[in-house]
Amino acid sequence: MEYIGEHLWIGKIGNVFVILSFAFALLASISYFFASKDNDETPAWKRLARIAFRIHSISVIGIVVTLFIMLYNHYFEFEYVWHHSNKEMPLRYILSCFWEGQEGSFLLWTFWHVTLGLILQQTSRTFEAPVMATISLVQVFLASMLSGVFILGHRIGSNPFTVLLREHPDFSNIPLFSNPNYLEKLDGRGLNPLLQNYWMTIHPPVLFLGFALTVIPFAYAIAGLWKKQYTEWIKPALPWAFFGVMILGTGVLMGGAWAYEALSFGGFWAWDPVENASLVPWLTLVGVAHVMLINRNSNQSLFITFFLTIITFILILYSTFLTRSGILGESSVHAFTDLGMSGQLLIYLLFFLLLGIILLIINRKHFPKQKEEAIWSREFWIFVGAVVLLISSFQIIFYTSMPVWNKLFHLNKAPAKDVVNFYNSWQLPFAFIILLLIAVSQFFKYKQTDVKIFYKKIAASFFISLALTLFIAFALNFSKPLYSLLLFSAVFAVTANADYTIRVLKGKVKKAGASIAHIGFAFILLGALISTSKKDVISQNTSGKSIESLGGQMSNNDNILLTQGDTLPMGRYYVTYSGKRFEGINVNFDVDYFIRNNDGTFKKEFSLAPLVQTNPRMGNVAEPDTRHFLTFDVYTHVTYADLESLKEKANETTDEYAPAKNYTMKKGDTIFSSNAIIILDSLTTAIDKEKYAIGKEDIAAIANFSVLDITKKYQAKPVYVIHENRIQPIASKIDELGLQFLFWKINPANATIEISLQEKKENIRDFIVMQAMIFPYINILWIGCIVMIIGTMLAIWERIKRSKRELFQ
Amino acid sequence: MKKVHIIGIIIIAVAIGAILTTLNNTSTYANFSEAAQSPGSEYHVVGKYNKDKESIYDPQVNANLFTFYMIDNQGTEKKVILNKNKPQDFERSEQIVLIGKMQGEEFIASDILMKCPSKYNDGKPQETADNK
Repeated sequence: MEYIGEHLWIGKIGNVFVILSFAFALLASISYFFASKDNDETPAWKRLARIAFRIHSISVIGIVVTLFIMLYNHYFEFEYVWHHSNKEMPLRYILSCFWEGQEGSFLLWTFWHVTLGLILQQTSRTFEAPVMATISLVQVFLASMLSGVFILGHRIGSNPFTVLLREHPDFSNIPLFSNPNYLEKLDGRGLNPLLQNYWMTIHPPVLFLGFALTVIPFAYAIAGLWKKQYTEWIKPALPWAFFGVMILGTGVLMGGAWAYEALSFGGFWAWDPVENASLVPWLTLVGVAHVMLINRNSNQSLFITFFLTIITFILILYSTFLTRSGILGESSVHAFTDLGMSGQLLIYLLFFLLLGIILLIINRKHFPKQKEEAIWSREFWIFVGAVVLLISSFQIIFYTSMPVWNKLFHLNKAPAKDVVNFYNSWQLPFAFIILLLIAVSQFFKYKQTDVKIFYKKIAASFFISLALTLFIAFALNFSKPLYSLLLFSAVFAVTANADYTIRVLKGKVKKAGASIAHIGFAFILLGALISTSKKDVISQNTSGKSIESLGGQMSNNDNILLTQGDTLPMGRYYVTYSGKRFEGINVNFDVDYFIRNNDGTFKKEFSLAPLVQTNPRMGNVAEPDTRHFLTFDVYTHVTYADLESLKEKANETTDEYAPAKNYTMKKGDTIFSSNAIIILDSLTTAIDKEKYAIGKEDIAAIANFSVLDITKKYQAKPVYVIHENRIQPIASKIDELGLQFLFWKINPANATIEISLQEKKENIRDFIVMQAMIFPYINILWIGCIVMIIGTMLAIWERIKRSKRELFQ
Repeated sequence: MKKVHIIGIIIIAVAIGAILTTLNNTSTYANFSEAAQSPGSEYHVVGKYNKDKESIYDPQVNANLFTFYMIDNQGTEKKVILNKNKPQDFERSEQIVLIGKMQGEEFIASDILMKCPSKYNDGKPQETADNK
């Protein structure tokens, strides 16, 4: 069939770029390889390599621009566009659509590699050829991930320019596609509502830049081994390693902030496999950057420097494999589904792992001989710190990889129930050691330190920290010894580094990058410790019915029911659910927080509007709302709302009544509806039969009800009629209250009557089930993030300035 | 002995410790009959929710109690008591994973994970009402 209006030409242009990017990456890596040899042909190879890499870069940018144009113009004939966007999408989400899918995120990663490669072409001087050879080779693999060509029946990569109907031939059975002009009626699937927020716009570019930055130390390390320049590579790679620490760290922390703000984890870190997968390479990268420092100053720890550098890049590839192979399946909330690329990713990973490890083993015996570090030297304790980081990473990645071990060894292991606790029990001691090292390391000198001077210098910080810790532990009621130890080490790290900045560096902020970054890191852990261990779930079940009575010690009473209009005490607040608002596909639940004044009156402190997004195609997604104060946050999350009745209310004014309730009453009795008090005043047979159009022979009685709501009194007069031996009651309605009365039986024996009362469905009061938590002092954590980033930036700046000075001397 | 060797030994010891505790600190995927054989130990059970039988969630009484029936992958059906709120998209789930233990004829679950077909997998193209 000939389809009308398809823009197939743009896909062809995109594919030309895909092929060009692959071919020229290959050419660049080959020619850079030959350019690394030292002979007559070297300059010619180098010229060719540079041009090839530039054409490769232009092609990658070409792919990016083409895909963006397709998304921007809603060309739904393409699978990727149809899959990830739709017509309603505002412009700011087009970028999010771009990297929502695997192809787009690979493209983002490739784009950063290209950008960094172009910078390295200008700055890496003698290392250009061997470093760029590795980077180009990485690009060959990445470009193949976008090719989507079939080789021997296997599809290589996944192409973002696939046409929808060619990718899914089965769709041609759908009636829509029998219309040659189907495009006029086709809309895309849209972006997952979970991802429709600004985090999705800023988080992936930062994280992928962090990923991309690990390739630079890796490429330098490979170049160092290959060219037998075992120590020379470290100097140019060092600022890049710290830049990577900064960007990847920002990316990881942004992920945590996103989870805290918009996801329902109930915290900023849940040890989710996807979070772990990017935390682990950050930890090893921190190790890399620090052992590189040792090497710059004392030529120690060469082996571990190479090892950590190689392993960091491999861990980035491994984390890509974990999140994209679908292997995490049920164990993670945000893994990609498998696109059949896991095999390729594994080949890619094993190739670079073997390349690195084999080169390292071959070259090991040629490493320059080193003297053993002295115990009282800075390099020794930095080395110990790097080792602790390595073990800590190992523990995290080993546990996270459980699904991989299951596949490999045909095991049947599932993660434990309390994953968070398990990780914490391992990682808290590691954090304790790291923080102690952060506190003391700067007071050691390289090579050898006089221990007495060291004790003298550190003593002040130590005792101040001890006093501060006792004060904080007492004020916040810390009971667990491990938490108190960690608290001490964090406080010690902050004071010792502050002391170092003031007394040793004489307050020169420019030189204090490292100390400032360490203070930031200690603040992050301090904030995490306090806000997590002192987290207060204020929405405990107060309904009286205990879950323990139902058996099982697994009580989980973090949820509480709030009926519209009711007020429940939660912590120091009184909380009311005041109703819901509809905004597009979002349902906002307004929850008001009051505090009680001394005179017993209530004052509204603030309102929160946690929401549930009802997307007909993707299901319902809940999003919490948090009120931030200087010293604490109040987090509120709707865990359940009756969305079925919500749908009915969405089309409003359904005149439907809920099922009737029957009552037996006698004169003077009172019953309650959800919105009023109802009293049976009197019964009478004196009745204006004409008014009710009742036959003269019929028997009739009226029940007179007084119906009182808060403001007004109403009357209801249902009539009981027997017409030709059949009961034909006449209902009485009070429209203002949505009530309907039916009087259908008289029991003369005990002078009671039977009535049924129906309420309009909208009368039935709405409710939500929610969680509320208080996170104390979480702002320490966020301040720590910013301080750490600024400190790292200062340190990089100093180092670049210094190496420029050295160059011109 | 060099310091590097001492550190090496410590690394190996801690790494072995990490591996062993990890292996001990796991639950096992199982079906209902396996879980019933050792009541009291924790399992992950995968299955489908039985749409034909009654599932009860009455938050007015207890917001942290949800009962329903699940059929595991072997076809065994058990009543499930979940000590949590009813998950928002429960009816849509195509597969569920329960974490908990058997107690008599009932499975007491402390947590639930769901796979909803619509969220991450492909939907089919749909016609839009407006033809812009």
